[in-house]
Amino acid sequence: MITLYDFVLSANCYKVRLFCGLLDVDYETVAIDFHPGREHKGEAFRTINPLGHIPVLDDDGYLIRDAHAILIYLAVAYDPQRTWYPMNDAKRLGQVAQWMAFADGTANTASAARLHVNLGYDFDVGKVRAGAHELFAVLDEHLWFRERDDGAGGWLAEGDSPTIADVALFPDVALAEEGGVSLLDYPAVVRWADRVRQIPGFVVMPGVFHFGRS
Amino acid sequence: MATTVDLVPRTVYRTSLLNRELVLWRADDGFVNVWENRCLHRGVRLSIGSNDGAELICRYHGWRYSNRSGGCTYVPAHPADSPARTIQNTTYPAVEHLGLIWTTGNPIDEMPPFAVPELEAMAGEILGLRNLPVAAPWQVVIAALAEHRFCPPGALDVDPAEAEMSANTDGLAVTLTSSVGDHRSSAVFVVQPLEPGRSVVRPVLGERPPDPIGVLRHHATALARFAKATEAREWATPTEQPVALENPVVLPSTSTATRRSALTEVTVAAKRLVANHIIALELSPVDGVALPTWQPGDHLDLHLPNGLIRQYSITNRPGWSDRYRIGVKREAASRGGSAFLHDSIAVGDVLTVSEPRSGFPLRRNVPQTLFIAGGIGITPLLSMAHALSSMRLAFTFHYFTADPADIAFVDDLDYFGDVVKQHLGLSPHETVAALREVLDRPEAGGQIYACGPPPMLDAIRSIAADAGWPDDAVRFEYFENTTQIDASSSFTVELARSATTLTVSAGQTILQVLREHDIPIVSSCEQGACGTCVATVIDGEPHHQDVYLSAEERAAGKLILTCVSRTLADRLVLDL
Repeated sequence: MITLYDFVLSANCYKVRLFCGLLDVDYETVAIDFHPGREHKGEAFRTINPLGHIPVLDDDGYLIRDAHAILIYLAVAYDPQRTWYPMNDAKRLGQVAQWMAFADGTANTASAARLHVNLGYDFDVGKVRAGAHELFAVLDEHLWFRERDDGAGGWLAEGDSPTIADVALFPDVALAEEGGVSLLDYPAVVRWADRVRQIPGFVVMPGVFHFGRS
Repeated sequence: MATTVDLVPRTVYRTSLLNRELVLWRADDGFVNVWENRCLHRGVRLSIGSNDGAELICRYHGWRYSNRSGGCTYVPAHPADSPARTIQNTTYPAVEHLGLIWTTGNPIDEMPPFAVPELEAMAGEILGLRNLPVAAPWQVVIAALAEHRFCPPGALDVDPAEAEMSANTDGLAVTLTSSVGDHRSSAVFVVQPLEPGRSVVRPVLGERPPDPIGVLRHHATALARFAKATEAREWATPTEQPVALENPVVLPSTSTATRRSALTEVTVAAKRLVANHIIALELSPVDGVALPTWQPGDHLDLHLPNGLIRQYSITNRPGWSDRYRIGVKREAASRGGSAFLHDSIAVGDVLTVSEPRSGFPLRRNVPQTLFIAGGIGITPLLSMAHALSSMRLAFTFHYFTADPADIAFVDDLDYFGDVVKQHLGLSPHETVAALREVLDRPEAGGQIYACGPPPMLDAIRSIAADAGWPDDAVRFEYFENTTQIDASSSFTVELARSATTLTVSAGQTILQVLREHDIPIVSSCEQGACGTCVATVIDGEPHHQDVYLSAEERAAGKLILTCVSRTLADRLVLDL
């Protein structure tokens, strides 16, 4: 059985819940009182993750931390078709790693702005928002050209199916406006997010909605 | 406001124009809706809502707004009621032209004729380039664009600094031509003023190169450089208004793109035979794009050129705000209504119709609905079934007809699929037996909507009651009241709010007496079938002679249809 140490409002934990939904993999959650209790920084949780971060995944005793590491583990362990993590295609695999690193960037900017607004974290909000806009401008141009690539599905990496890079980046994009980072200037990013919402198995979290369902 | 590719089917797009936030969505019929980006309920952005192809649904409390008219069609908190027609979003006109979506920026009926001469000249072969936001006022962007540089498709490897450029500015569009040797290329850069200090550049290339990706990349890179340089400039805050709004059409703030007057002129846009003796008429607005908002089960008063007024149910599907479709059966004993529509009305004729009227509102939060239609009684049930279908609420549709040739609106029935149960050529006795079977087991939380000939509805009423259906779960629409009206009583009516007492003599109706004394009351069928003229009874015992009120409503004695019902006592007190 898979157990996820989870906080419902965390974009990073949502990456894992979203991917479990897309893979149709069952899991249990252990709710960590991230806010206001700061349980993830407590002594008890440090025995699970000495870094004091969530999410952490426990798959029958195999403990793995860091959202992106968990996505890679789940993809290899539970997607026998290897569509989510294209291990046999060097170029696509490189692109997947590249865009997952890009999602680290949005975590430090767009997601930080959201933590500042929602949970009162002490960030220079003007600076992190400006950083988010710089990244989203690059992302919008990339996706605009991906849409013009014949035969492709308009995902982050080449090819006609989404990868864990799309899963890794989606939460920060979908939640960006909570942090005061408007997506008004990035229509191609919004269209990509609408495509992610339409992948079978898509699941929501507070602030993230289903596509075309009220 | 957008490029055509921004409006993906079933998605919702957000933009700004002159500091007004707009929501754009394309309906399944291709129509581009441009509305204020604000739910009329709690002000939430409609752009986070969902587009079901016919309606835009607010994410917050599920209010539904119709394609074209922007009228609210459903409020989930009031599942049994029709929203007031005044709940209507502010709509803006839009046209799609040369790969872009354009508007006037004023909520008016129709887009005035317009042309971008530089773009028209290119209309044959164009390529939409990547659009780019620029954090600068539109005036600054326009001025800076005159110095923008790029290379023609045949000379992309040349440094743009070496290209020979010429510029022509016209309003919010700048046409640039680049020449390198024998290569020449023109593009129009249209500027959308978003908000103070923010604009979007929407460029269109005047040719379609065989390998567009390289050209698109060249322009995207050049424009990104342009945006950075323009944003880095220093500018004084301009106060000048955009050229496009030099002569804005200013309407009162309450005005929207659709009419609110009681009567509307419509053109007969289509007339076709849908069954033996039944025609469908499609009525379109004489001008503008949308008609007053209708609700499932609503009907219209048709004012015919021969002076007659007749009621017909609207048989629309959700999102049809550009037409009313009605079904008209030629009545054997027609007094000039249905026969006139069948014989004398042609496509292109102009008729006058009332606003849609509700007498048969559909409750839209019930898991299972049973529709029972007899003959032409299918008409009000069609729009209801379509509404439930679009909300994915389950229903069964029983349709009783005498002959296969009488089956009307086959396309709609096919659309509903196997939830349609046809009952063909049954005798009155067999009909009762079939109804017994259909109504045999009342479903918990289920509801029945029925319309058809009075004897059939009377049968449904008694069978449903016998089978144990709750009275308020069974709803009817009688097209006519065949009750023999007894108008022999005379009595006084006290109008509590008007502080007036009137006398109703034998042979007069309450409604007539109210009219004679200028007491405002609306009516429609005036034979006790439609429920429009209902009034609240404060004191006194009504003598009901209508077919509209339910058994419970009759027993409660709190409502009266003023067109046919009276009192057998000497006094009634009404809340009028």
